[in-house]
Amino acid sequence: MSTVEDDEQDLTRKQRREQARAKRKELEQAEAATAVRRTRLTQLGIVVAIVVVIIVAVVIATGGGSKKGIPKNTHEKNAIVTEVTSLVGGIAQNGNTLGDPKAPVTLAYFGDLECPICREFTLGALPSLIQKYVRSGKLKIEYRSLETATKEPETFKTQQVAALAAGKQQKMWYFIELFYHQQGEEDSGYVTENYLQNLAQQVPGLNLTTWSAARSDPELANSIATDAQAANVAGFTGTPSFQIGKTGGPLKKLEYASLTEPSSFESAIESTLKA
Amino acid sequence: MSSRSLRITLLVLTVIGLGVASYLTYIHYAGIKPLCGRNGGGCEIVQTSEYSKLAGVPVALIGLIGYVAILASLLLPETERSRFATVALTVIGFGFSVYLTYRELFSIHHICEWCVSSAVIVTVLMCLATWRFLRGDATAMGTPTQAEIGAPESNAPLGAAHS
Repeated sequence: MSTVEDDEQDLTRKQRREQARAKRKELEQAEAATAVRRTRLTQLGIVVAIVVVIIVAVVIATGGGSKKGIPKNTHEKNAIVTEVTSLVGGIAQNGNTLGDPKAPVTLAYFGDLECPICREFTLGALPSLIQKYVRSGKLKIEYRSLETATKEPETFKTQQVAALAAGKQQKMWYFIELFYHQQGEEDSGYVTENYLQNLAQQVPGLNLTTWSAARSDPELANSIATDAQAANVAGFTGTPSFQIGKTGGPLKKLEYASLTEPSSFESAIESTLKA
Repeated sequence: MSSRSLRITLLVLTVIGLGVASYLTYIHYAGIKPLCGRNGGGCEIVQTSEYSKLAGVPVALIGLIGYVAILASLLLPETERSRFATVALTVIGFGFSVYLTYRELFSIHHICEWCVSSAVIVTVLMCLATWRFLRGDATAMGTPTQAEIGAPESNAPLGAAHS
């Protein structure tokens, strides 16, 4: 063999070795990349799993869904009636108004009985306002109807008229309070004739025959239309909405920061009392 | 997308989210109504609902703290750990947004545009941060650097091209 041939063979051997080394390196790098990717996916998976567990725990801890108020048994129903009676019992009522007719301040509360946010106000800020201002004769509250959450206008009319019909016996606020306390899931169609009859039966001292007869009074349906017009004039599109002012005088829109804490309402009442 | 432009995109989105959360936190403590479409109904209702606080802490403040943490993780020198911190924080933020949107849709039955905008921002942040974390060093395009394989982490300046 010549020297040139030997050199050529050496080169080929060297090249093969280098190629094999490069291939091995590539393979090692690919394996390392796969391992890194796997580690990253595992880390990400752990984070996602922890977050899912925390969310589920928070949802369970803060209540699985909309807090349904429909009582499950007679005991719960009786507890609600007792609570409502202790809140509005002994306070003068006149139609849609709760409180002394001569109270110096009037608060108009535009609500829809199926509106969950109205429920939040009714069970949140309202009780302390009733205790502090209505019981002491400084404030009277007028409940006015504005359709928002109730999808079917007929259902809205039926339920609001049912409340107004209780007002014919000066018990509308019992009915309103009981409705909000036992409000069902929005859009679930829970407002049926049975539901309304059941509420009426819970109103202390309500004459059911008179109440049933009053529900067909066209004056009540007209008052709902009047309330809708008043809300339209005030520019209200959502519930709850409020107006406040001196009794007998013009009412102006009440701005609030919270429906569960009464501070916005209290300062509006105080400034109206001083005005 | 280069590592630098991806990081800048993440920073811009985080600053926008920070702005939204700061505004919501401010109006919560100032007790004023949020500026909102559709007569402000949805935002005001959501902001004043019982779900506007979690264990007594306003959710807007929790969001603000979250965005500050994401921003901090993005300002750290870019390493495997900092990328993991960003992705972990954005996944937590996304989870929190899922919870809040669930509450808006199924408990409060009203939507707050500000909350939705924050949810969208955090979702995009999470997607980008996940992509950034999984691909590792952008210039290596899937090939791990020595730092990622196990060698000491690079102290190269942020956004500097890695070899």
